[in-house]
Amino acid sequence: MYCVKCGVRLADTEKKCPLCSTVVYHPEIKRKPAEPLYPGNKLPKESSDSTALSGAIVFLFLIPLVICFFADFLIDGEINWFGYVGGALVITYIAFALPLWFKKPNPVIFVPCNFAATALYLLYINHATGGGWFLSFAFPIAGGLCLIICVVVSLLYYLRRGKLYIFGGAFIALGALMLMAEFLMGVTFGFKFIGWSVYPLVVLALLGGFLIYLAANVRMREILERKLFF
Amino acid sequence: MAKKAAKPLRWLRLDNAAKIFPATIRKNWSNVYRMSATLSDDVDTVILKSALDIIVKRFPSIAARLRKGMFWYYLQQIEAAPEISDEYSYPLVYMSKEEMGKCALRVIVYRDRIAVEFFHSLTDGTGALIFLKNLVAEYLERRYRVKIPYKHGIVNRRDPPAHEELEDCFPRYAGPVSAGRRETSAWHIHGEPTADGFLNLTCFMVPVKEALEIAHAYNSTLTVFMGAVIMQALMNLQKEKNPDSRWQQRVKLMIAVNLRQLFPSSTLRNFSLYTIPEADPRLGEYTLDEICKIIKHKMGTEVTAKHMSRVIATNVNNERNPLVRLIPLPVKNAVMRAIYDRVGIKKSCLTLSNIGQVKIPEAMARYVKRFDFILGVQAEAPYNCGMLSYGETIYINFIRSIKDAELERHFHAVLRELGLHVTVESNLSGGEQTCIV
Repeated sequence: MYCVKCGVRLADTEKKCPLCSTVVYHPEIKRKPAEPLYPGNKLPKESSDSTALSGAIVFLFLIPLVICFFADFLIDGEINWFGYVGGALVITYIAFALPLWFKKPNPVIFVPCNFAATALYLLYINHATGGGWFLSFAFPIAGGLCLIICVVVSLLYYLRRGKLYIFGGAFIALGALMLMAEFLMGVTFGFKFIGWSVYPLVVLALLGGFLIYLAANVRMREILERKLFF
Repeated sequence: MAKKAAKPLRWLRLDNAAKIFPATIRKNWSNVYRMSATLSDDVDTVILKSALDIIVKRFPSIAARLRKGMFWYYLQQIEAAPEISDEYSYPLVYMSKEEMGKCALRVIVYRDRIAVEFFHSLTDGTGALIFLKNLVAEYLERRYRVKIPYKHGIVNRRDPPAHEELEDCFPRYAGPVSAGRRETSAWHIHGEPTADGFLNLTCFMVPVKEALEIAHAYNSTLTVFMGAVIMQALMNLQKEKNPDSRWQQRVKLMIAVNLRQLFPSSTLRNFSLYTIPEADPRLGEYTLDEICKIIKHKMGTEVTAKHMSRVIATNVNNERNPLVRLIPLPVKNAVMRAIYDRVGIKKSCLTLSNIGQVKIPEAMARYVKRFDFILGVQAEAPYNCGMLSYGETIYINFIRSIKDAELERHFHAVLRELGLHVTVESNLSGGEQTCIV
């Protein structure tokens, strides 16, 4: 029997063409019965190693969390500094250990989760210290950084090409974020605008521009690859 | 020269080529390949197990477990034959380090097929084929009461292993000058990965006579010719994905070279290297004749004892360095893995390994319908290709870890244009539920 689409001759075992997935059918030709080359629907069992490892890591995180809680509480019967330590431990867990529960953790989902956890942590510190800087400084800076990193991660994850363009653009955006940081510091903390952010902006913009130029210039890229190969 | 009997084997250092494989094992990937024989009747697993008990003692360097030392990995002889495993819906299911610690090979039976899957540190394709041939010979002798003569790789399974079979031949043939390691990066095929590590196998069956006639018309051997067809298919695929030739990348094919053809050796350890012919599509389109010439001339200059002795020297010199030897194994692993990730992975689009013509004694051939050689996919590249010929047919097995059979379609298109009659089969024939395409 031949595939009607791609014309390849098919072994009697094939129900679909292995090359183009076209169903094998001919109203006038009766095919010889043949055993499949491999058994159908028999897949290896999932390994439980990663679940056990993830469980062990949760336990490892819980130990310092519980110790810190009691150490703080037993001193004067109040919670003073535990929130800072506990929050930092939770953020570390979300960043490094939480993805281990998933077989193929998608960074496009986990990166915003990390930023959300960090923003909540900053909000807690702001509240605990009576800072009044969260909405006018921490939130826009963390939000801007989150936006840049999320865009980079999403493009890298789904496009799989154009890395130089992506990183070039990200550097330029980071430079702009520096400028915004200095401006917001002035608004929030009353610092005088002296223009320090222009220096990282210029450096990052030059770096980003160079990467974009490199991305567009194949010859230059090859020369650099040849010279810098290790 | 009479073969000297070896002492009872306790453990063996990994050979020079084998050292990289344990260092590059990942959570979902290890370098495993399969050699299988399909018989005329369904396999009796009880008889096969009794045959395997004999074979593991005869080939102690292959039937071995992978163990960890302070400075290097090593192989340790297994005390008893591993259990016969059942076949899954796809070959070369991930072999973990824990599994290798018990036994670094699997024997799998499915209906009339005996398959053995080897971790690459144990042996190369030639050693694996000899192991399989002897396993099948022992099984057939027990099952059908036939006497199979000792030729074409069949040995007396009651003899102890010879020293020559256990030798790491790389240091012996290392040249006085070493070769450079510099290699340009190749184009990599990308596609949507299959779910849960499923591997798609597509086997092309081509008549030997027809293929040889066309290969000779191109003044090529079968390896050169099939390598050229694969490279042509790769170039067509890249052109389809990226029509602007300015943005296309080099197409490179890693072709395995059996060093036993260049240096006198009867080792059953790893003793193979590779050569990497390449074509740059930015220079324009290539005809099949041009690609055949590229591969032929590349092999002509590199597949020589002198050139290979330089490459061997490069690899061997590193492990001879006393400072390198003293580095603890975890550090060595990290460094080897980093080098492999930085350079090794990018060297080629895929590997073609041709075992050549499989010959077995006449008394055995009436019970064996076919042989297959299946390479595992590479760590990052989703394709690999193993081929051999047996009887009147060439069996070309493409394995892939992505859903779409795009390279296979282009490969078939090139063969079709050449007028070759190709039959194709796959591991998706077992049922609709496994059809990932």
